[in-house]
Amino acid sequence: MRPLTLAEKILARASGQSTVMPDQIVEAKPDFCYSHDYAAFAIDAFEEMGATRVVGADRAVVCFDHGTPADNARDANNHRKVRDFVRKHKFAEFYEGGFGIAHQVMVEEGFVVPGALVAANDSHAPSGGSVGALAIGTGETEMGFLWATGNIWLKVPRTLRVELSGHLARGVYAKDIILQIIAKLGVLGGLYQVMEYHGEAAGRLSMSERFTLCNMAAELGAKGAVFPYDDVTAEYVSGRARFPFEPVLPDPGAAYSGVFDLDLSALEPMVALPGREDRGVPVSEVDGKKVDQIFIGSCTNARVDDLAVAAQILRGKKIHPDVRLMVVPASRAVAVESTRNGDLLALMEAGATVMPSGCAVCAGAHQGVLGDGEVCLSTSNRNMPGRMGNKNAEIMLCSPATAAASALAGVVTDARRVLKESTR
Amino acid sequence: MNDDIIRGSVAVLGDFVSADVILPARYSFLPPEEMARHLLTDLSAEANASAREHPILLAGQAFGYGTGRESPARAMRAAGVKAVVGGPFARMFFRNAINNGVLVIDCEALVHAGLAQGDTIEIDIERCEVRAKGQAFPIAPIPDVVKRIVQAGSLIEYGRTLMQESSRGGGHATTHAR
Repeated sequence: MRPLTLAEKILARASGQSTVMPDQIVEAKPDFCYSHDYAAFAIDAFEEMGATRVVGADRAVVCFDHGTPADNARDANNHRKVRDFVRKHKFAEFYEGGFGIAHQVMVEEGFVVPGALVAANDSHAPSGGSVGALAIGTGETEMGFLWATGNIWLKVPRTLRVELSGHLARGVYAKDIILQIIAKLGVLGGLYQVMEYHGEAAGRLSMSERFTLCNMAAELGAKGAVFPYDDVTAEYVSGRARFPFEPVLPDPGAAYSGVFDLDLSALEPMVALPGREDRGVPVSEVDGKKVDQIFIGSCTNARVDDLAVAAQILRGKKIHPDVRLMVVPASRAVAVESTRNGDLLALMEAGATVMPSGCAVCAGAHQGVLGDGEVCLSTSNRNMPGRMGNKNAEIMLCSPATAAASALAGVVTDARRVLKESTR
Repeated sequence: MNDDIIRGSVAVLGDFVSADVILPARYSFLPPEEMARHLLTDLSAEANASAREHPILLAGQAFGYGTGRESPARAMRAAGVKAVVGGPFARMFFRNAINNGVLVIDCEALVHAGLAQGDTIEIDIERCEVRAKGQAFPIAPIPDVVKRIVQAGSLIEYGRTLMQESSRGGGHATTHAR
């Protein structure tokens, strides 16, 4: 039989077939699905379809993250509607606002397991590929359809093989890897494809780093991204996975649409210039640009290791008086751990405003909307015009280290200079 | 009217118009007719007027990329958009539009064919081509499941039909995808 890529194997199993071909349309049955505040729209769709029973409610979760705590009565009423629905239909779990960003929580709480087909009504669903799942974004109506029928239709994607080699230099992080990949391939560079990560350097990346890479598959236009199951995955999911699972590895000799090689040792810290995620340049090219707001948050880069890097840079110092620094841990579990280890304290003492876990500034609907002409340097994933609620503002993307170093100086700053001072 | 042919005038839009620009997140919870008033206004007032006047959007590469929110697609539907042609288009935009009954067709050649605001084009689903300026531009065959959703009017309408079939037949609802 034709050797299959990881995504093809998962889709073949989830559609009850022995094999699949790229571009084939399959009817698949996801192993798990999740939603967030926009479940309100999925409920409307579910009810308008005349559905009465959620198929596979024991494999469905809702986690509020986009607009919590509620900003207004309309959002609060939508939240009420969703709470009532998940209770009535006995969803596997419901996470109240503040628990964390859904993508982070689903991996952290063990709902996303290796080899699973996962659907979520959010473009950053590919995050689940960090644990070896094929996690795919859908619309809200589709989520309602999935609840009603247990199925979705999917086109079998081609797979782009990414080979990572070399060691990251000091001061260069996972975010710089993915910003470089996006700069090279473009915002449609992964269109209708799944990014499959390989190479000795991929094996060395931590779960949090893998999450950052898979998360921003969305900014490549990709259907998903996946790190094949290995020791790092095994250690992470052990004692955490909520469902039985079978790790899936790609077959030797599987057909890829291409191979993209990246030597990590050649990378520099990257900043994506305003307007599009593929405008990444080495930080030196934008060094000294004034910023008004800095956001260390989002499902891309707000985990314990991200906050630790920021705290390492800011500990015992004060941020520039002309800068607003907002820190939003990706989940409450992250916030708790970063509180215990003192990192959040260090960030607050440096002048950071710590906000409840959720999408916050990145969703552009509340909390941290930018003013006209303002510039935000952000560890999040999107910088197109208007993303943070104002088309007349600019957004640049970077790693938590670059964000923290820039918070000190009030201008875009290469963190390697600061890291040199702070640690011998 | 023949379901297999969509005929109408085009609003011409540019490259890299993100879904956040098509309809910003803050308008996601508005009633449809109000969303239609905000459609593409972050691009320009003219883009809004043009998209509401012409049933077909001729858009450049990556139109609708970025956020997977469905409200931009709902806003297009509310504004009377029947189809979006050009591209290539991002996958979530594609799905969301289809699920709201708005056909999305990749046809890059059409972007460079020199069409102006208000020019009329014909999308022929059966013959897999778009006709414009006396020329025929080939398009990929539209998958059956996509045809069924668009012809039903939306995924909600399509889902309703499946629900009714399954309650009558006592069977399990499926998407009938082959």
